[in-house]
Amino acid sequence: MHPAITVKELRKTYRFAKARRGLAQSLAGLFHPQFVELQAVDAVSFEIAAGERVAIIGPNGAGKSTTLKMLCGVLEPSGGAAQVLGLTPWKQRRRLAYEIGVVFGQRTQLWTELPVRDSFALLRRIYDQPAAAFARRRGELVERFGVGALLDQPVNRLSLGQRMRCEIVAALLHAPRLLFLDEPTIGLDVTAKAAIRDFIREQSKGEGQTVLLTSHDTRDIELVCERVIVINAGRIVLDQPTDQLRRRFIARKLVTLVSQAPTLALDMPGVTRRPSEPHTTILEIDTRQSRVDAVIGAALALGGIEDVTVEDPPMEEVVHEIYAALHR
Amino acid sequence: MRSTPPCIARLADDAAAMGAAYRVGLASAIASAPVLVGRAIFYGVCLMVLVAFWDKVGAHRVAGTLGAHLPLSGMAIYVGVTEWITLSAPAVHLTLEDDIRSGALEPHLLRPKPYLTQLLAAQAGGMTARLAMLGAAGLALLALSGRPWPAGFGLAYVTVLGVIGTSIGLLLLTLVGLTAFWLRRVLPPLLIVQKLLFLLGGLFAPISFYPGWLHTLAVFSPFAASLAFAGQAALTPSASDFGWALAAQAFWFAALSVAVALVWRAGLAKTLKDGA
Repeated sequence: MHPAITVKELRKTYRFAKARRGLAQSLAGLFHPQFVELQAVDAVSFEIAAGERVAIIGPNGAGKSTTLKMLCGVLEPSGGAAQVLGLTPWKQRRRLAYEIGVVFGQRTQLWTELPVRDSFALLRRIYDQPAAAFARRRGELVERFGVGALLDQPVNRLSLGQRMRCEIVAALLHAPRLLFLDEPTIGLDVTAKAAIRDFIREQSKGEGQTVLLTSHDTRDIELVCERVIVINAGRIVLDQPTDQLRRRFIARKLVTLVSQAPTLALDMPGVTRRPSEPHTTILEIDTRQSRVDAVIGAALALGGIEDVTVEDPPMEEVVHEIYAALHR
Repeated sequence: MRSTPPCIARLADDAAAMGAAYRVGLASAIASAPVLVGRAIFYGVCLMVLVAFWDKVGAHRVAGTLGAHLPLSGMAIYVGVTEWITLSAPAVHLTLEDDIRSGALEPHLLRPKPYLTQLLAAQAGGMTARLAMLGAAGLALLALSGRPWPAGFGLAYVTVLGVIGTSIGLLLLTLVGLTAFWLRRVLPPLLIVQKLLFLLGGLFAPISFYPGWLHTLAVFSPFAASLAFAGQAALTPSASDFGWALAAQAFWFAALSVAVALVWRAGLAKTLKDGA
């Protein structure tokens, strides 16, 4: 299949003046500034096929967003090459804009004081969409994302979950072939996250859109993407299908038990205890050795359990585990 | 049937997008009617103070002082015009500072239409609503005061020069806002431009009162093109002065537009290289 994105040896080095301490040093810095270089992305290469849904993950400062920005065309690389839908993003930014949809989870692309409907109408003009085709597509998306009741509300009066649904509709209105999503579920509650994931997955499957997503939430990756690229310190450390990654690295769950007793005595294969306060027991479960329901059942059998929470390990831990595994 | 050449079609699309942004700006300003009314009240308060001051100066008309050069009708209409322009100019510098400093510029750069033209079109929409509202308030205050109206075509000259003058003000403030690419905060350049508008623009006093060299400096500055020309047209309307003022405004509008485009291009290049 023809690749939607081709990246070869992409690099980005940020250079900034070093801050100095004290008045004398600061004055000296005016005449003889010292510069610091930060290698944010270091010779990254990958290909993404048309219609593929791929997550780029990594700890904070790993180079995910920098890579995404270069592929969108809003950041020029220091070296290397990239083609997105046959275009060089940073040289053909405005042409590429017609072909891509972008959602930044922490930034709005809507006009906050305007009703959602007016933002959509303005986007029609910005993307040169014919009125009839635009109205039809808007109608479909409004129905699919359930934002009909929100159209006449100003954006700044929407909840974060409502706003995010409108943001995604806005990013899809011009029928982009490729969707860039930067932390699309950040700050959302569990229900809103689930809805957004379902919408993105179904939308992409239905229209064959390519999706490139960055997130710290493992559920975004598991439920939306079929492939994961792990970046650390600006380099790709892993690139494999999500299923394989899950089996290799996300086969762990954290179970937090709040009990009447200060401690709980649970000895099961693949279950390790993490440091915690009295009356709280945090268990890390290797799901290849023990099932989560079996561990919870054993804990309940001990009696005096007041609360149970099941979580995925933080993404940072998964990434560190991956990184550590690669160096073992 | 001949099809439209691609470049013409693209220009038409760009114009349509700018038109849509203009309408959004206009609609937003109208929707914020209480803010418009508040601004009109503030305009009235400013005029009361300034007119009282100039009436006091004019009452003496002492030979050898500025008072002797004042028009018999007083300075009410001059300061009315310069304040009308000043209070109608949009705070585009604050929007630019916010967007550039916070990184909110990035989503706009992901669109096929240039951010700056869309922003300026929307700001021009808001500016139109304020010009209309404050213009109506100014005319109502003039009627209530019983002072004489500008002679002949004076009102028409003031309207044309005032609208272009406010647009020049918009471009000056845009340049101030664009400095955020380098300075991050626009307050220092804003203070400079405000003082120059006050002094060389003749915000409170006609530049014709200035000594020769300063008058020459002021009259050939964009600040007078923004404020003083329209104010002067209200005091001493004449077709020849109007023609000259219009030509000077056209020059400054074009020159500032080029300056805005160049500074924007430099700022954008920096952002694309260093990140938002």
